[in-house]
Amino acid sequence: MAELHIIGQIVGASGFPQHSLFCKWGLHAGCAWKLLSGLREGQTQVDNPAIKEMSYWSHPVDVHYATKGLQGWPKLFLQVWHQDSFGRSELYGYGFCHIPSSPGFHQMDCVTWRPLGTWQEQLSQMFVGGGPQLKHSDLIHTGADRYRLHTVAMGKVHLQLNIILRNFDRYGVEY
Amino acid sequence: MASTENLRQKIKSKRKALQASLTGSSEVSDTQGLVSAEMENGTRNENATFIEDIQDEDEQAENLKQTMRAQRRRRKAPLVDDVIEFNHEESPQDITKITRRQRSLPPLGECTPSTSFAEYSMREKMREKLKAARSKAQSALQQEEESASRYPTDLGDQSSITQFDTEVDEEYAKRPRDAESPIPPPRVRFREIASRLKPKPKEGFPSTEEAYNFFTFNFDPEPEDSNEGSEVRSHPQTLHDVDQGEEEAAEEGGEESAVSKDEEKEEEGKEEDERLVNDDEEDEDDYLFIIDQTARDFLIVKAPDYEGYNNRQQRDRKVLFIPSILSVSTSEKVPENMQPRFLEDEGIYVGEKPKVSKSNQNIIENRLLKNEEGKRWFGSDGRVIALANPIKQTKTRPPIFSPHDEVDPAIETLYRKAERSRYNSQYIAGSGEPQGHFQLDIDVAGIVFSHHPMFSREHVLEAKLAQLYDQYQLRQQKNLANLYTDKLCALRKAVNNIAEGQGVQNPMALHRLVEYKSEIRATRRMCHLEQERDRTLLKNIIKVWKDIKSLREFQKFTNTPVKLHLRRQEANRKADELSYEHEIQAEIAELLEDYQEVYDSKLEEYKIKYEEWKSWRKARKAKKKQKRVAGEQQDDDTDESLTAEELPKPDPPEPVDPSVVEEQVRETAARIYRKPGEPLLYPELSMTATVTPTNQCPRGEQLRRQDVQRCTLFAKVLFNNKEVSRTSSRTLGIDFRIHFGQIFNMQIVNWPESIKIQIFQTIGTSTTKIEVFVPIPETSILTGSAPIDEMEFSSDQRVMFDHEGVGSGVAFSFEVDGSNQLILLTSGKLACSVSWAVDENGVPLVPPVLHQNYGIQSTLKHLDAISSIGATGLTDTKKLAKWAAESRLDPNDPSNAALMQLIMSATNGEEPNKDYFRLDHLQEEFNFLSEEALNKSKRFRLLQLRNDGVTEFLNYKQIPIKDSEISEKIFQEYKNKQCDRETFDLTSHLDVHRAKVAKYLQKVRDSVTSRFLLAKHHYTLPDMVIEEAVPSISMLGVNLFRLAEPRRPLRPRRKERKKVTAQNLSDGDIKLLVNIIRAYDIPIRKSMGRPALTSRSARSVSETFPTSQPPQISAESPEWCTDQVSVHPFVEVSFQRIVRQTATLVGPNPNWNEELELPFRAPNGDYSTSSLQSVTDEVFINVFDEVVYDVLEDDRERGSGVHTRTEKHWLGFVHIPFTTIYSQSRIDGTFRINIPPVLLGYSKERNLASERGWEAVRSLSDGSYLSLFITVEPHLVPGEPVIEKFESQEDEKLLQRADKFQKEVAQKFRNRRCVTTVTDLTGKMVFVTRYIKPLFPPQELLDVLPNSSEATMELLARYVSLIPFLPDSVTFAGICDLWCTSDQFLNLLAGDEEEHAVLLCNYFLALGKKAWLVIGTAIPEGPTAYVLSYDHNQYVIWNSTTGQYYGQFDAFCSLQSVSCLVSAENVWFNVQKYETVMRINFDTSKSNLWKPFFSRSFPFPGLSSVQPDELVYQHTDKAAAVELQDKIEKILKEKIMEWRPRHPTRWNRYCTSTLRQFLPKLELSHGREGGDDHCAELQSLLGDYRISGFPIHMSFSELKPVIEAVHSTGVHNTETPLAEFALAVYIHPYPNNVLSVWIYVASLVRNR
Repeated sequence: MAELHIIGQIVGASGFPQHSLFCKWGLHAGCAWKLLSGLREGQTQVDNPAIKEMSYWSHPVDVHYATKGLQGWPKLFLQVWHQDSFGRSELYGYGFCHIPSSPGFHQMDCVTWRPLGTWQEQLSQMFVGGGPQLKHSDLIHTGADRYRLHTVAMGKVHLQLNIILRNFDRYGVEY
Repeated sequence: MASTENLRQKIKSKRKALQASLTGSSEVSDTQGLVSAEMENGTRNENATFIEDIQDEDEQAENLKQTMRAQRRRRKAPLVDDVIEFNHEESPQDITKITRRQRSLPPLGECTPSTSFAEYSMREKMREKLKAARSKAQSALQQEEESASRYPTDLGDQSSITQFDTEVDEEYAKRPRDAESPIPPPRVRFREIASRLKPKPKEGFPSTEEAYNFFTFNFDPEPEDSNEGSEVRSHPQTLHDVDQGEEEAAEEGGEESAVSKDEEKEEEGKEEDERLVNDDEEDEDDYLFIIDQTARDFLIVKAPDYEGYNNRQQRDRKVLFIPSILSVSTSEKVPENMQPRFLEDEGIYVGEKPKVSKSNQNIIENRLLKNEEGKRWFGSDGRVIALANPIKQTKTRPPIFSPHDEVDPAIETLYRKAERSRYNSQYIAGSGEPQGHFQLDIDVAGIVFSHHPMFSREHVLEAKLAQLYDQYQLRQQKNLANLYTDKLCALRKAVNNIAEGQGVQNPMALHRLVEYKSEIRATRRMCHLEQERDRTLLKNIIKVWKDIKSLREFQKFTNTPVKLHLRRQEANRKADELSYEHEIQAEIAELLEDYQEVYDSKLEEYKIKYEEWKSWRKARKAKKKQKRVAGEQQDDDTDESLTAEELPKPDPPEPVDPSVVEEQVRETAARIYRKPGEPLLYPELSMTATVTPTNQCPRGEQLRRQDVQRCTLFAKVLFNNKEVSRTSSRTLGIDFRIHFGQIFNMQIVNWPESIKIQIFQTIGTSTTKIEVFVPIPETSILTGSAPIDEMEFSSDQRVMFDHEGVGSGVAFSFEVDGSNQLILLTSGKLACSVSWAVDENGVPLVPPVLHQNYGIQSTLKHLDAISSIGATGLTDTKKLAKWAAESRLDPNDPSNAALMQLIMSATNGEEPNKDYFRLDHLQEEFNFLSEEALNKSKRFRLLQLRNDGVTEFLNYKQIPIKDSEISEKIFQEYKNKQCDRETFDLTSHLDVHRAKVAKYLQKVRDSVTSRFLLAKHHYTLPDMVIEEAVPSISMLGVNLFRLAEPRRPLRPRRKERKKVTAQNLSDGDIKLLVNIIRAYDIPIRKSMGRPALTSRSARSVSETFPTSQPPQISAESPEWCTDQVSVHPFVEVSFQRIVRQTATLVGPNPNWNEELELPFRAPNGDYSTSSLQSVTDEVFINVFDEVVYDVLEDDRERGSGVHTRTEKHWLGFVHIPFTTIYSQSRIDGTFRINIPPVLLGYSKERNLASERGWEAVRSLSDGSYLSLFITVEPHLVPGEPVIEKFESQEDEKLLQRADKFQKEVAQKFRNRRCVTTVTDLTGKMVFVTRYIKPLFPPQELLDVLPNSSEATMELLARYVSLIPFLPDSVTFAGICDLWCTSDQFLNLLAGDEEEHAVLLCNYFLALGKKAWLVIGTAIPEGPTAYVLSYDHNQYVIWNSTTGQYYGQFDAFCSLQSVSCLVSAENVWFNVQKYETVMRINFDTSKSNLWKPFFSRSFPFPGLSSVQPDELVYQHTDKAAAVELQDKIEKILKEKIMEWRPRHPTRWNRYCTSTLRQFLPKLELSHGREGGDDHCAELQSLLGDYRISGFPIHMSFSELKPVIEAVHSTGVHNTETPLAEFALAVYIHPYPNNVLSVWIYVASLVRNR
């Protein structure tokens, strides 16, 4: 009957080559986890900062989980997208991070990456946008074979999460 | 020599002096010492021999010296003077020097000056010290050494001499070389020695001998390295012995001095050379001292120290060990006496050793061997022990880029173009992710006309022939007749087999026999059928061919190349006859057998029956006998029973006559079978006939051919009604075939909704169009595999020609006399195929889920059990196999082959493996708790339910943190609801039917909401961002202008307020503002005791239409004007049980102008749009009369005190649903006050009518009115109606037209609502005219007033209005308007304005009236639907929800504007300038006033109605109504008592019963009349009671509104202590469970 409450926000992103970013996010948890309330996934607005580099979304995350086991501790996976001046969106980065397992406030940076693709793809990406995307976006967080991907590092997504744990101590989980 | 003697002496003395005190560095003196000692040694033996040599050497040395000097001089050029002086002064000394140089090395001396002055002084001090030390030590040493050293010298002398001889010689030989090559300076040498000294003490063999050696041999001028090493070895030992603890330097000095002393003492005589040398040295020293002033001379330029490579190498060799690279023999490596052992050969695993190069290996081996215990590094195999090579042979990390580009599917990436997200739900990608492109390939192959207007007669026949021939070929291919014949044969054989083989009657075989026989029968029937068909077909073909031939002959030319050959195959007549006869015989035999069987069974039956009959007859006879015996008494009974049981005598069945059967068989055979001997005919169609050239044809035919050549065709491809492409145009061939052969590849974005191919045919200038609809292919149909389909098409266009062409849609005949006419329409076949394209990778470009196209339908399918379950049933192979087994499919039938195969594979296939694997294994083991425990948690459940938006838990605040704090009760209701879906909650509905309806509504609502869930998630920008509009220049201008405007504070205006989105609101934020402005014509009090006059005569409909007649002026007695008790009205507004009231004014036309503020609370504190829309609360605006009673007991007190009691008497009410206010955001207008038909003690008189002109007009519409302004503060943004494109079954063209029409009119009249298509209950778009259809009302209603159509209309309006009103916005919160058909409406017994209006309109139409549906706006409903009827030259507007009606020129008509009229055939849009009812013309025939939807350009296509043919009305159960009536009465009484907690509530039974009697009368009169009569009656009955009360009338839907209505009247609020109450309820049942509820509430106060 342990409960995990994640309250926080996806603050924004920095370090991406272009502005005008938005983010699709989702939480993935194992089968022992049960969503009590809140949205498990979402998408932010597009932020195109006029000054400075960082895009701010301040997108709220408020999820309440109940769990019967520790396996499959929730992970937050992100996809950062870029909307170009023609209103087209292209992928800018995948990333994921574990939800912190200790209670309290956590400020986190989630690094992101993007598949590189072949040189032809890179070339066309340079001129016409778009880019290689994962066929199966599960790979963002499951990543067994991810090392084989040829990727480029992209920017960081900044997260601020407050973790509230309840009753974990009852089952011998210390934190 | 004398000189030398002198010199020596001199030197001696000098030396003595010097030695004690000074000269040079210690090293120098050291070397001097050494050199001198050496010289001593040398000279001692060689004195004689040397002397001659010296001379030569002297010269050499002299030369050398000279050159050196010269060099020095040159270098010291600036010091020339000094040097010269020196030279002069020291010239004699030079000689001495020369002599000295004989032995010592020239550079020796020279090196001394290199010491610096500082060093020099230091050394001096040192020397002084040394001297002191030495002098001390000398005394001791001298004695020792003198005794000790004497003896060994003799011994050592012998050997040393020989030794030295050679050595010296060597020395000499070397000398010149050495002189040239830089000799290591003595200092260095000393160091070497010194360094060598150090380790020496360790070796312990100090001996005096060696010490001696040291002292003797040490003085080698240039010792050999090796010698030196060996010599010096002993040296320190001696030192040790001699003087331990002394410093080395001191020792040296000490030694030297000791040695020199020795020499002095012992070998004075021999020491000439030595002395000389010493002298020399001293001279040098002197010399140095002399040149002390010239410091430069100390500096010596030296060549850089260089050690020769070889030297170094040699030296290194001593220090370093360089292992050899030669391989070491194994024997050295293994322990002795052992053979190397190779473990690998013995079969023991030895890992492969890391690879080391051979030389390296050798080196290390060599090195290791040199080590102590070096062998332990080697293994038994003689190799260096090493771990096995740790590097794995296989690569643990596979290469990222393998040459074969096999990418793991898991990490596959896909290049996606940057795309605009233009897809929304109606486009393909439902998931929102653009999946890429989808492509449809449309192959338009060609067209074949089966009839064309330009066909000549011959063509017609040819087409027919071709068609028949095609059919023939198809049949030939199938060859069904043969198949059946074969089957028949096989079956017969099987039967024979069974019959012959089975002598024993096996029940199984018997059973099979029966089966076979029945099968034979069936097969034979089929066989005959097929054969007959074949034959007729053949006959037809031949007939048509004959026709063609005769036609060709007749017209004398040939038009078509068609030619039919009949191939004959002569048959063997005899064999034919035989088989023919055999066939017939077999058939006859079978038939006979069959008949026999039937006969047998019948006979059997007959026998049984006969037996029965016989026994019955016997019994009868026996009874008759009995009867006679028993007498007459029982006779009647038995007789009756016997007659009843009398059985007819069964007839025996007729036996079968074989001849008849044979005749039958032969007859059919003659018809079907080929006659024996008749040749077999095989028709063959060919195109070989020659067509007559055009010039040989008659004129008509020539024209036709010309026309044909002029005719061109092309095809357009339309996708979703948009032209995509078109084929090139082709000329029509003479054979009326066109080949396009074009393939169109369409990349699509939108869902394919329709694919249409339009064929355009141009003949000259005229163009005709034929449309062919092509089905959208299944997802499995891909390009390449798609067959070309032939789509038949036809056109009903009439085409007529004046030439030979037969035309289309025109009658023509082949006969000469014109009989047997034919009408052929243009028709043909379009060969085309539509398929989904396949990309180069073989991936079909098919949208992922094509059926999403029917999204709405598919969601509805979930409700439809058959479509969902049925479909899955078909895919269940097991079921299929079962079915196949049951239906006994013929496995040999080729048409069943595919099916059989499927079944075979299905049954043979293994059972699906039930084994499963578990994801997240070990999960169970690590679980904290079980799944059940988790699910049991009440807190979690509550949280989840709240999150899911379950209505009960939505907005549930603060869920307790502990399970124990949550009571199980919370879920009870929810659970009940879940399981109570089927059972009815009678307590709240009181009526089974209504409970059912409520359930049904709930279900519909559920399904509809789930459908709209997606749409609800669409947020618009204003939902998210609240942005203040930036004032534009024009706005600013207006504002500026406004500043200049004259201020008119007395004429306030309403300003537009800022809109507030619902989401950021909370309790208490929202207020309802009700501005009560004024009221007109409020009923006034009547004075008591005076009988009321019947002021209102019964009105008929005709009276209410005032245009035709002069205003009615009520004939009132003038005395009313004076003798009037006024009224003190005030208005009370109650909303959500909160009550506010205005001030009390006087008179029937009060002007309050007061604003009342009521707080609003949303249910559950949820202020979301959908929640607000579903608020069912109503605003009750009640008008009361305040009556003040004087309760003063004593008249005497009147002067001093006021003692009154006020009572409020309800006069009427207006109620406005909150949803209306919410959706309209404000309500402004004058409303009719609902005044009960009977108001005891009040009357409404139009007494002033005659006096005020305007009043007269108004008063025509009877009633009281109230002007109101209601709004919500802050301004809430009403939920946007969901604009959703629904699926529709309407014609695409019609929908487009509707769209266009709506857009057109919306441009001109923005605020007029145009309704063309509406959504029905299943969520489909339906054209609105389909709802209008004459429907008969219940006969009972028509029977009430058979002769007055007006009254009937009124009654119908009343009936319709009694059907409860339930606004759509409440039913389907946040969802658009849904229209029910009338039968649905009557079933639901709930609906909003549209349903009411449609039903009423349909009734009127059924009565034969002209009626339209009016779409417009009204107060308070807002956008609504009314009914317009036209009768007696006047238009009447009916409010279907209230049953009220208004004339067109009624000022108080609640319909404010009219925008649309709808009839069964058309929709008219109001294009007049005005839209108010009074100012518009309802003549729809004028198209400048009413824009019709269906006009001449777009005629009415004859849309069928969605309404049922007939409405079926249920008869209402009267008993149930009575029961309900009692129930309601009871509940209401309880409620009233509940509302009066502080007072006892007394019920006046007498009054109640009186009222109860009165209510039915009211119902009969529709509440119109009898009020006053009743009043009088009551008054007389209850003489001394003051009664205030009234009947309330309403339609019945639920209990809650009834209670609410009673509460809102406030009758229970009477504070009079002795008040009594009366309450009566009457329910009048109308057909179909429509109930009219009357509630009479009254309070009585006894008059004193």
